[in-house]
Amino acid sequence: MSLDTLRDSIPDYARDLKLNLGSVLAAPGAPGLNEKQIWGVAVASAIASRNTEFASRIETLAAAHLDEAYLNAARAAAAIMGMNNIYYRFLHLVEDAEYAQMPARLRMNVIGNPGIDKLDFELVSLAVSAVNGCGMCIVAHEKQLRKHEVSREAIQSAVRIAAVIHAVAGVLEHASAARPEVAAVAA
Amino acid sequence: MLGIGQKFPNYSLTGVVSNDLEKAFQQFTQDSHPGKWRVLFFWPKDFTFVCPTEIAAFGKLEKEFKARDAQLLGVSIDSEYVHHAWRREKEELRNLPFPMLSDIKRELSTALGILDPEAGVSQRATFIVDPQGIVRFVYVTDLSVGRSPEEVIRVLDALQTDELCPCNWKKGEDTLKAA
Repeated sequence: MSLDTLRDSIPDYARDLKLNLGSVLAAPGAPGLNEKQIWGVAVASAIASRNTEFASRIETLAAAHLDEAYLNAARAAAAIMGMNNIYYRFLHLVEDAEYAQMPARLRMNVIGNPGIDKLDFELVSLAVSAVNGCGMCIVAHEKQLRKHEVSREAIQSAVRIAAVIHAVAGVLEHASAARPEVAAVAA
Repeated sequence: MLGIGQKFPNYSLTGVVSNDLEKAFQQFTQDSHPGKWRVLFFWPKDFTFVCPTEIAAFGKLEKEFKARDAQLLGVSIDSEYVHHAWRREKEELRNLPFPMLSDIKRELSTALGILDPEAGVSQRATFIVDPQGIVRFVYVTDLSVGRSPEEVIRVLDALQTDELCPCNWKKGEDTLKAA
């Protein structure tokens, strides 16, 4: 299934998203990012957006652009940030600094050894943090990327992808729940 | 005895990995498991009472160790042939999923300082060695006391649990803790 078919399954009331999806997933619409980064961010954002059917479609499309290691790293970023965004958001919000002094005692070894370039993993993690809505995680990952001279433009591109993917995931979820025939046609 | 933070000694030992005599023996050195953690545990003698239960208990948790990127290695001063005979003889050892190494020259046990001066055999010692070859945990019990593989897993988890994520960033701190 092509990206166009996927876009066609987006209802007309969300035409803006349909157009945005086409633009942010293509290099000219995602300045500063290479093809791998675009699709890595897309996969992780789709998984984080919790629409399994949409996520697997994005994964299928991404497979044309990513090797297995990259695809797995994107999944791993969605997985580990699914935990870290919750845990650290708690630390950031709780208004009791004592909690931050307590060791998390959570394994997160994949961050140290993600199997792809660490900065790419950071970028994908930032996108997931944006989807999951952890403010300080966003701050921290953005700082890491900027420290290593990743441009604001590239970071913005990743977040634009995350934002569009998140919105489309929600719309398609609703569309298929509200009108089963939409899901049938789209599949 | 070798302690925390010290370099685990080099070794080259024959290990038993199968019941089939044709492919039972394999040589193991400090470089056999690149990038992995190593959990080396020693027992006094093959064919004794406490040992098979304990070794089988490690065997049952082998998947847990593997999932943590750790290679289990069992060691005693018995020869590889004795290991092989014991492995075939004892039902709970027949499918042992990790090698039994033979420190027959007692060099490794001596270097580690775990050769019992009275009995002349290895003490019931357990070492966790990180991928850089550094001893991170030592656990020795009296010759007659068995040990808990679950405790070793717990320690391994604690050793491997670093807060690596920049999410753990606190104000005024802008570097990743671990490289």
